[in-house]
Amino acid sequence: MKNKIPASEITPEELYISRRRFIKQSLLTTSAALLTVSCAGGNEPEPSLDSEFAAYASLTDDQGNQLTPYGSITEYTNFYEFSTSKTEPTKLAQGFVTSPWSVRIDGLVNNPVTLGVEDIRSQFTQEERIYRMRCVEAWSMVIPWTGFSLKQLLDMVEPTSDAKYVRFETIYDPEQMPGQNNPSFPWPYIEGLRLDEAMHDLTILATGIYGKDLTPQNGAPIRLVVPWKYGFKSIKSIVHIELVSEMPTSLWMAAGPTEYGFYANVNPNVDHPRWSQATERRIGSSGRIDTQMFNGYEEQVAYLYEGMDLRANF
Amino acid sequence: MSKVKILGNLLGVIPAAYLLYQATAGNLSANPIQTATVITGRASVYALLISLYCSPIARLLKMSMFHRVRKISGLFAFYYAFAHFIIFIGLDYQFNFSWILPEIRQKLFLQVGLAAILMLTVLAITSVNLIKQRMGAIWKKLQKNVYWISALILLHVALASKGDIIDPAILFTLYLVAMLLRLPKLRSISIKKQPDWLRRINTFMIS
Repeated sequence: MKNKIPASEITPEELYISRRRFIKQSLLTTSAALLTVSCAGGNEPEPSLDSEFAAYASLTDDQGNQLTPYGSITEYTNFYEFSTSKTEPTKLAQGFVTSPWSVRIDGLVNNPVTLGVEDIRSQFTQEERIYRMRCVEAWSMVIPWTGFSLKQLLDMVEPTSDAKYVRFETIYDPEQMPGQNNPSFPWPYIEGLRLDEAMHDLTILATGIYGKDLTPQNGAPIRLVVPWKYGFKSIKSIVHIELVSEMPTSLWMAAGPTEYGFYANVNPNVDHPRWSQATERRIGSSGRIDTQMFNGYEEQVAYLYEGMDLRANF
Repeated sequence: MSKVKILGNLLGVIPAAYLLYQATAGNLSANPIQTATVITGRASVYALLISLYCSPIARLLKMSMFHRVRKISGLFAFYYAFAHFIIFIGLDYQFNFSWILPEIRQKLFLQVGLAAILMLTVLAITSVNLIKQRMGAIWKKLQKNVYWISALILLHVALASKGDIIDPAILFTLYLVAMLLRLPKLRSISIKKQPDWLRRINTFMIS
């Protein structure tokens, strides 16, 4: 772990919160001014780090992008299990029970196993990965995850030669997750990856952000992170991982087959049928930036899709 | 100005006051542009639906006070739609037309929204009394286009939504009911005898 000093020892919580407010306030006053005078402004990046996370102050992603503040990452989420609102999950998920928690890994494997999250944390060396996260709604963040490559777990259970896909499932518990009563979606949340995508080194299971345990709204206690795909592929609060031979149908594929495909690779040239994917709003800075092919991980992952029609396989 | 108009204007500025207050308090979430877009859009849709219910309710309850806030709610629908539009092209896309134009060319929900704001603008401008008087009979015909514009705006909302079908369904139902209440057969329905307290409220509010 990179932050050896516990972040909580650096600055009292109240102080960092008030600082956050100040930063936001200034940003918003600027925005309000922009609105009234309607002038085309340049990009003024928000000072992106809370003093609580001083150890992260100098860190960037592989392209030199500043990290999104911890407060923004934990405040603004898509977690329809709690609410379709962006900020409600933060409140609604507060009492969410994440311990004890176990994950079953089975299906077409030689060594099916059920592991407690604590075992997973201790068995696989946790490392920090700073990834861009691009939501299908055209906003993005830069997040320092704590986790380990999914490949390690898959190697342990030994997929058989029939295993072609990995199917992931989120906990189904409508009593704790009020959004699961919303009939617009076929719960529980399901996601899937092709086996080679799942085995790719960039694909991780994450248990933390900014060196802290995942918050419930961010998918505690364990979630998938696939940085070159739209955020909805990175399924949260996983209870079941299954190796299968057929392409799994994800919740979003079932809810909108013409709008959400299995691959869901970030691609500025292939729009969602109703919205554009050409640009994105980086949380914490004003204005927009161009969206990159495979979210900027083209060099690492393009070979996985060689010869494939990415428009047909959206 | 009558009390009902004062009340209408006060209610109308609530979303703007809320937006400004939350913005200065730093409470517009980590994605303030998105939140401001949604708040102004919502305010516009609600004001528009209210304007569509003014006439039917005035007729049902025999209360002229509702007639008197129809224009006000229609105008607030326009103000918030305009703010929504300016936030989109100015704050969100920073007047970068090399981004905006291709998007508008490709995306139905933007074309629909753009058509609606242009037509709403025409209705808002022609609602100025001086212009209204000069237009004579055409004015009423022109303003009736708000029925189509409302349908476009709800289509815009539905096309922009992600996954959740309940919210657009509720809005469309409210719209359909407002339209059904305009059918010749339903137009004549109203309470037979207006209770005294309704009459007194009405008299008080329109004074």
